Amino acid sequence: MVSYLTKRLLAVIPIVLFAIFLMFMLIRLSPVDPAEAYLAAANIHPTEELLTEKRQEFGLDQSLIVQYFQTVKKIVQLDFGNSFVTNTPVWQEVAARMPATIQLAVSSMLLAIIVSVPLGFLSAVYKNSLIDHFSRLLSYLGASIPQFWLGYILIFFFAVKLDLFPVEGRGTWQHFVLPSVTLSLALIAIYTRLLRASVLEELEEVYVLYARTRGMKEKAIMVKHVLRIAIAPMLTGLGMNLGKLLTGTIIVEQVFSWPGFGRFFIEAIFNRDIPVIQSYVVLAACLFIVCNLIVDIVQMYLNPRISWKGRTEY
Amino acid sequence: MKVFQSKKAFLITFSMLISIFLVGCSNSEAGSSSSEETAESANSITLSWPRDIGPMNPHVYNPSQLITQSMIYEPLVSYGEGGELQPHLAESWTISEDGLEYTFKLRENVKFSDGTAFNAEIVKKNFDAVMKNASSHSWLGVINVLEKTEAVDDLTFKMILKEPYYPALQDLAVVRPVRFLGESGFPEDGDTSKGITAPVGTGPWVLEDYKKDEYATFTRNPEYWGESPKLEKVTIKIIPDAETRVLAFEKGELDLIYGEGAISMDSFNYLKETGEYQTDLSEPVGTRTLLLNSTNEKLADLNVRVALQHGFDKAAMVEGITLGLEEKADNILSTNFPYTDIEVKPVDYNVEKAAALLEEAGWKLPSGKTVREKDGQPLELEIMYDKTDPIQKAMSETLQAEWSAIGVKLNIKGEELTTQIERRKAGKFDVDFWYNYGAPYDPHSFINVVAKKGWGVSEAHTNLPMKAELDQQVQEALASTDETKRQQLYSSILTTLQEQSVFVPISYIKKTVVYQKDVKEFIFPANRDEQPFNEIEKSQ
Repeated sequence: MVSYLTKRLLAVIPIVLFAIFLMFMLIRLSPVDPAEAYLAAANIHPTEELLTEKRQEFGLDQSLIVQYFQTVKKIVQLDFGNSFVTNTPVWQEVAARMPATIQLAVSSMLLAIIVSVPLGFLSAVYKNSLIDHFSRLLSYLGASIPQFWLGYILIFFFAVKLDLFPVEGRGTWQHFVLPSVTLSLALIAIYTRLLRASVLEELEEVYVLYARTRGMKEKAIMVKHVLRIAIAPMLTGLGMNLGKLLTGTIIVEQVFSWPGFGRFFIEAIFNRDIPVIQSYVVLAACLFIVCNLIVDIVQMYLNPRISWKGRTEY
Repeated sequence: MKVFQSKKAFLITFSMLISIFLVGCSNSEAGSSSSEETAESANSITLSWPRDIGPMNPHVYNPSQLITQSMIYEPLVSYGEGGELQPHLAESWTISEDGLEYTFKLRENVKFSDGTAFNAEIVKKNFDAVMKNASSHSWLGVINVLEKTEAVDDLTFKMILKEPYYPALQDLAVVRPVRFLGESGFPEDGDTSKGITAPVGTGPWVLEDYKKDEYATFTRNPEYWGESPKLEKVTIKIIPDAETRVLAFEKGELDLIYGEGAISMDSFNYLKETGEYQTDLSEPVGTRTLLLNSTNEKLADLNVRVALQHGFDKAAMVEGITLGLEEKADNILSTNFPYTDIEVKPVDYNVEKAAALLEEAGWKLPSGKTVREKDGQPLELEIMYDKTDPIQKAMSETLQAEWSAIGVKLNIKGEELTTQIERRKAGKFDVDFWYNYGAPYDPHSFINVVAKKGWGVSEAHTNLPMKAELDQQVQEALASTDETKRQQLYSSILTTLQEQSVFVPISYIKKTVVYQKDVKEFIFPANRDEQPFNEIEKSQ
């Protein structure tokens, strides 16, 4: 297992380097001069002398190759530079906002699991029953409603009309409810259907029949065997989505005035705050890689048929 | 197959599931807590702002917000209604005859919120800190002409200029960078461009509580020299989304939504029509203008520029797109600024006249074609607009339709704001949107960009036959110490610009405010960037 992990961790390096390269090229390809962006963000009228001074400071007068290696070097040292707008280190800005985003992502993920595991499982077991229809409707809604719109609708009914939750902000647990529901509905839609499908598939497997003939209790077969195996594809999805959630709470953070990383990123885009955009891309790449790795490890723990060596053994 | 032996077990599981999904819905604590918050202090208001208030450094710009900077820091001279300059931290001032020496008599018994005295020395210290980074402030005229400052005695401060510059006092009324930080707010090396230690000012408010990106609470400054604000507390909640702002206001979490474009025009009219709230529009704060680039061969012809102005129904466009929240503009600068009250003959909507002018300019409509031509060239232009601005987009589309009726093909191109500004500065456009700066910057900042290169406006005027004369008049007006002469120069400059039609005024932009019924009258500040909340009251 140790060698497997080492191999996987080593594979992270070229992926991150490639992500940095992509990000570096995209920024250089955009028509905006980082020196101009800096002055614009600071509300300073860009005279030629100031622009030259800033270009030198940012190393923009050097060749692209040198600039790329310098970027990599800085990122490796976790130096993302200072935000053009606030003039404080990006790392500090990100660290200050990350907890809020993580809280929201985790609470949405938990809500999605709490709802979709029983719902998906029950709608497979009671196929075509009321609960199956309900889960289908919920999935349909979750897959088709745009998040920002859902956010507004929830605020309108549950905060403004019914006065059950605050409209925006962060502080108490009530503040979590509407944004978490907004974020998790799309996940619930996917996981419920995913789990339902894989439970139905597992029920056709020979081991289920064998267990029944052995006289095992139905409940035990379902929970100890079927659910445990059927849940694997859903876990993969969860892992992928955790990365997506951590980097994709942007719209929901905007709608609910959630003081997280996503909102900060939107402002950075509008202000052409290049160091922030840069750090976001690198961080997102790392998050996705780490989440994938965690999923793989959990998968192997849950399903012994997947071995550490990466091949399937029966 | 059956997992659950009985229907009962199934029902229990199902209802648990539903209750988990609707978690918290039965609890009404959150709702009541926010209502309590509003009721907590009847003498306080909560409003929203789209961005975090920032570190409140009086000498730098982003990310500090003007509105909150104006609550804490005060100017020597303030800008009143109609551009009248009023004593503020300076009780009086004298200007030497040659217009080079400004001597300010400072107000007595003014203290910073930390209890230290406001005097000529701290004024000088602030000016020194600003001048240390003069290049960052070169947009502000007074900084460019400032030779030196002097603390003559405890309450006399002197400013010596390199050359006469009449708007020096107007420039001192702006919110940043020429307002005053108390001694304890300065960092050790005195260089405020890198940060301050605390926002210590002489203004009516002090920052009491602040959570980045979430809220900021201000309470009365106990040391304030003037009349204390009527409210005890002002809370500013950071809500970046305009629709959320409206929903929070409807729920009563906000007492006030104020600003330029703080909510959409639809939302404003919706809130107004409910009749449950009070709404108001300010005097014009700026003009939405089209900038026609005279360096473009087609637009170099005055007849073409005037024809384009005759060629669209301005009143209908403004009413239709801004839903009555902006007002049709005939003057380039609205008349509520100093020196701008000039007689202007409105350019009416007249398609025949437009066509006749284009004919006169040699742009004929070949039979069977819809676009006019001259020497085989079609009359085709491009308008660029800020992609994120729905009003600019809608106006561009309207212009495209209207001008096609007079045989002009208008291509529309959405640009990102930074690209739009870059293209404007480089003179790479035919038609662009432009706005003046508002009070207290205008009209002097306006004529400055008409003459000074680097902003794209002077460049757009390059092909005017009287450009050199115009620039000369601008220089004279800015340096003039004679009020009558200055008025004459302004009238002449503005009249020439109106006649030349490089600027096409479209509408006057106004600020909006929506407030709850228990908030007494809201008065818009004369200075575009300020809102010290001194006069707002709440009915008990």
